[in-house]
Amino acid sequence: MMQSAVAPNALPEKISIKNLKFFYGDSLALKSINLPLYEKKVTAFIGPSGCGKSTLLRVLNRMYDLYPRQRAEGEVLFDGGNILNPGQDLNLLRARIGMVFQKPTPFPMSIYDNIAFGIRLYENISRAEMDARVEAALTRAALWNEVKDKLSSSGLSLSGGQQQRLCIARSIAVRPEVVLFDEPCSALDPISTAKIEELIDELTADYTIAIVTHNMQQAARVSDYTAFMYLGELIEFDETSKIFTAPSDKRTQDYITGRFG
Amino acid sequence: MSEHIVSRYDDELKDVQRRIAEMGGIAERLVDLSVTALTRIDTVMANTVIMEDRRLDEIQRQCEEEAIRIIARRQPMALDLREVIGAMRISNDLERIGDLAKNNAKRVLALDGQFQSKRFMTGVEHMAELSLAQLKDVLDAYATRDVHQAFEVWKRDADIDSMYTSLFRELLTYMMEDPRNISLCTHLLFCAKNIERIGDHTTNIAETVHYVVTGEALTQDRPKQDESSVTTVTYADN
Repeated sequence: MMQSAVAPNALPEKISIKNLKFFYGDSLALKSINLPLYEKKVTAFIGPSGCGKSTLLRVLNRMYDLYPRQRAEGEVLFDGGNILNPGQDLNLLRARIGMVFQKPTPFPMSIYDNIAFGIRLYENISRAEMDARVEAALTRAALWNEVKDKLSSSGLSLSGGQQQRLCIARSIAVRPEVVLFDEPCSALDPISTAKIEELIDELTADYTIAIVTHNMQQAARVSDYTAFMYLGELIEFDETSKIFTAPSDKRTQDYITGRFG
Repeated sequence: MSEHIVSRYDDELKDVQRRIAEMGGIAERLVDLSVTALTRIDTVMANTVIMEDRRLDEIQRQCEEEAIRIIARRQPMALDLREVIGAMRISNDLERIGDLAKNNAKRVLALDGQFQSKRFMTGVEHMAELSLAQLKDVLDAYATRDVHQAFEVWKRDADIDSMYTSLFRELLTYMMEDPRNISLCTHLLFCAKNIERIGDHTTNIAETVHYVVTGEALTQDRPKQDESSVTTVTYADN
């Protein structure tokens, strides 16, 4: 059973995951997960490969809908509404809950258009307004100064770290409320990683963030709350400082201290 | 506790713990010798304490270096983090205990050849016995990760404090009885104060053991019985 020392109702929950089960065909990948994502906080999901942390992240913006024979049961309340409802508008959902992937995925188009592309899907705005939005998003993603003189160059011409920040700029350009990060730094060098971490820290002023990471130190550095998952179960959820100094569950302790057999 | 996937990491942590155990043994011996040296005014023994304290300082440095190396290279988490931080704290306390024993030993050298009276020593000796027992217990508690035992040590420090308060009173009275006692009794007062502080460091170690094992600080207010700072003895002028 999950143990938690977090007082209920301590913080507003932007997303509330309730009794969430997830199936790949007949195989149960998430076993009744209950978990809050607190508003404007960073929640890290950690656990060994195959524990279900990426699956959980992919449920949060219904990314799994793209694949056949995958389904979720239970509730994921986002500002009160269940996003698992069949009637949920997925494009709107994915605009409100953005995602940044493990490998940078810039579109094969100019830096400018990488940002403008998403905005054009949802809004019809003037060139001047678009310029302002692109600049704002790139500034927010701490990339503007590096690319302002070459906005028409291909997004693919950027370095890995810059590409990842471009993807972050792209996802925040459509003004989401939640940003999901799926191992955003695993392909980056330490300096680029530090820049992304600094960026995540700044983004919490406006966004609720969930991050999946294999790098325990990264979870310890960037998150406010940490969820440890194992074999499709949520083992422990607590304040990050508690998880990394004195976790309650032995399995959590074994994992974060490098004792997993 | 099961072992780390990286076995070298286990070796490093064990190495730190081994050094703490070694320091504990030396600290106990120094406290014991310094008090025996005091009660017998044995300068040879006192000099041994002064010499051996260097060894304690040396191991403390090694222990700290090893702990820093582990933090830098392994980024310890949870229990491991608490172990390393605990080792740094305990090695500090043990090093301080060594210094206090050394200070008592130096006072033995100062007292050599001066007026002595056995009866003045009794109180200091009793205090030392108690604080030595406390030190032994807390080192056992560290070795066996026994929170209960650590907690008992933590509570019992009050006994040393109240002994110190009454000894303070007693020594002041001796000084008033005869000015020739003043030199010896002043030294004994400092020795008693040193022993009382050895007790405080022992209590720190108990708190650290509690933290290492549970992850929580011992936050209760510890019963304090040292009232020497507000104690006076009135000179009976009759």
